[in-house]
Amino acid sequence: MSAEPALLSLTAVAQAIGQKRVSSREVTKSCLDRIAQWQPRLNAFMAIEADAALAAADAADAALAKGKISGPLQGVPLAHKDMYYDEGHVVTCGSKIRRDFVATTTSTALQRLKEAGTIRLGSLQMVEFAYGPTGHNSHYGAVHNPFVPDHITGGSSSGSGSAVAARLTFAALGSDTGGSIRMPAHFCGVSGLKTTYGRISRAGAMPLSQSLDTVGPLARTAEDCALLLGLMAGPDPQDPTAIAGPVPDYMAATREPIKGLTIGVPTAFYVDDLDAEVAKILDETVAVLKREGANIVPVELPDQRQLTAACQLVLAVEAAAFHKRWLIERPGDYGPQVLMRLQNGLAIPGVSYLEAMRWRGPALAAFNTATAGVDAVIAPVAPVAAPTIAESDVGNSPDAEAVIQRLTRFTRPINYLGLPALAIPSGFTRAGLPVGMQLIGRSFEEAVLLRIGAAFQRATDFHDKVPRFA
Amino acid sequence: MTKPTPKEVKAMADVAGVPVDAEVATRMANSIGPAFEGFAVVAGTLPFDLEPASFLLVQFAKVSK
Repeated sequence: MSAEPALLSLTAVAQAIGQKRVSSREVTKSCLDRIAQWQPRLNAFMAIEADAALAAADAADAALAKGKISGPLQGVPLAHKDMYYDEGHVVTCGSKIRRDFVATTTSTALQRLKEAGTIRLGSLQMVEFAYGPTGHNSHYGAVHNPFVPDHITGGSSSGSGSAVAARLTFAALGSDTGGSIRMPAHFCGVSGLKTTYGRISRAGAMPLSQSLDTVGPLARTAEDCALLLGLMAGPDPQDPTAIAGPVPDYMAATREPIKGLTIGVPTAFYVDDLDAEVAKILDETVAVLKREGANIVPVELPDQRQLTAACQLVLAVEAAAFHKRWLIERPGDYGPQVLMRLQNGLAIPGVSYLEAMRWRGPALAAFNTATAGVDAVIAPVAPVAAPTIAESDVGNSPDAEAVIQRLTRFTRPINYLGLPALAIPSGFTRAGLPVGMQLIGRSFEEAVLLRIGAAFQRATDFHDKVPRFA
Repeated sequence: MTKPTPKEVKAMADVAGVPVDAEVATRMANSIGPAFEGFAVVAGTLPFDLEPASFLLVQFAKVSK
C-alpha cells in the first residue's frame, strides 16, 4: 500500500478499500491533506467539504465492516466539475449568476456514481458556463496547471484537469462540447474520455449546446476511464438522447492487446502547423503503438475546417438560446469573454444554423467512409502545449476568438461529428509541460479507444508522473 | 453564404430581442465571420430532403471495416 493513498489510481484505490487494505477515512484524509497543500496554488476546487467527506468516509467504512457492499467504488472520494446537479448542494456552473443556485435534482451521471459508492469531496472549478477553452474565470480566478503553475489548465473542465493531475481526486466528471475534457487532459497530463453523443445521459448536467454536449470522465488512466464509463453509460428516461441497448464491458477491453488493430495517422489538418515538440511526441506515440502490435497507416480525412465552422455555428446559436433570458435580464453578471461569445450566437440566421445541423449526417458518413479501413485515428489534442495564463488572457479583445480557434482546432470537428475520443498523456516538453494525443473512434466504440489507451499506458509511464510541490 | 456586416449583426441582435451597440456589433461580426467563411462551401448545396435526423441514422449505421 502506498504511503500516500491519494497517489493510487481509481481502480487500485477502489480495490484496496473493498479488500479493507486501507480505509475510506485514510483515503479521504490523504486527498484532503493534498487539497489543503495544493488548493492555494491551483485554485482547482470551487468548494471543499472536508467534514462531510470524512463523515461519509466513516459511514462507508462502517458499512464495509458489516459486509454491506454498495458498489465497486464504495468509499472512494471524488469531486466533479461544478455543473452536475447534486440535490441540496450549490452548483455555480462557474458563474456569478448561479453563485447561490441550489440543485433540486441530482444528475443521472452523478447519481450512478453515488450508487456505485462514491463520496463527495466538494466541487471543482470550471470556466463560466463551460464556455471557454483556457481555464480563465473572471469571477473565481484562473485555475493553474500543477506541472507549471503559471500555465493554463485548458478548459472548460479546468478544475477537473488540475485536480486529477495533482492527485487531489482520483477522477472527475468533465463535459466536452468543443474539447472541454480533452484539452484539460492534454494540458494537465491526465486521461480524458469524450464520449459518443448519446453514450451517457446528460440529464441534470448544465446545458451549453444540446446537440454537442457530452458527459465524460477525466482520470489518471484509460482503465479508470473505462471503469467510470461502465458505471455511467446506459439508457435514462430523463434523457431521450441517451441510447438504449447493452453497455459493453469496457474494463475487459482494457486488458486486450492491440495486435491486429489498425490506427490511422491523418495526412493533413491534424498534423499541420504543429509545435515542433508536439509533432515529435506524435511520432513517438505512433512508434510505441506500432511496437505494441498496431498496424499504422496514413488516412486521408475529409476537409476538417468545414466541420470546425459548422460546430461553431451550432454551438453559438444553441448557447445563446439557452442564455437568452439572462442576456436580457443580467448581462452585467457575465464575465466579458463569455458575454462576448454568447452574443455571437445572436447574429447567426436560423437558416445557417439549420444548414449546419442538416449537414451533420453527410459529414459523419464521409468521415466514416474515409476511416473505414482503420479502428481509430490518432491526432494531437492541440497544436501546442499549455500557454501561460497571462499570454492567453485575451478577455473580450478582438483577438480572443482567434486564440480560441487555435486551441480548439483539433477538438471541435469531433464534437460536430459526435464521435468518441480518448485523450492520453503522451509526453512532456522540455519545459515540463504535458502533451496529450487523442484517439478518435467510431460512434459508440469507446471500448476500442480504451483498449488502445490502456495498451499505450502499459508501455509508457507518462500517466504516472506526479507534479512536484516545489 | 457571406458573413454578416456589423450593420446586419446589429439588426439581427435587435430582432432577437438582445440589442447591442455598434462597437459590439462590429466585434461580433469579426468573431463569427470565419465560421461563415468556413461553412460557405457547404451552405446552399444540401439536397432538398435531407433532415437533421439523418445524423442519428448515420451514427447507428454499422461501419464495415
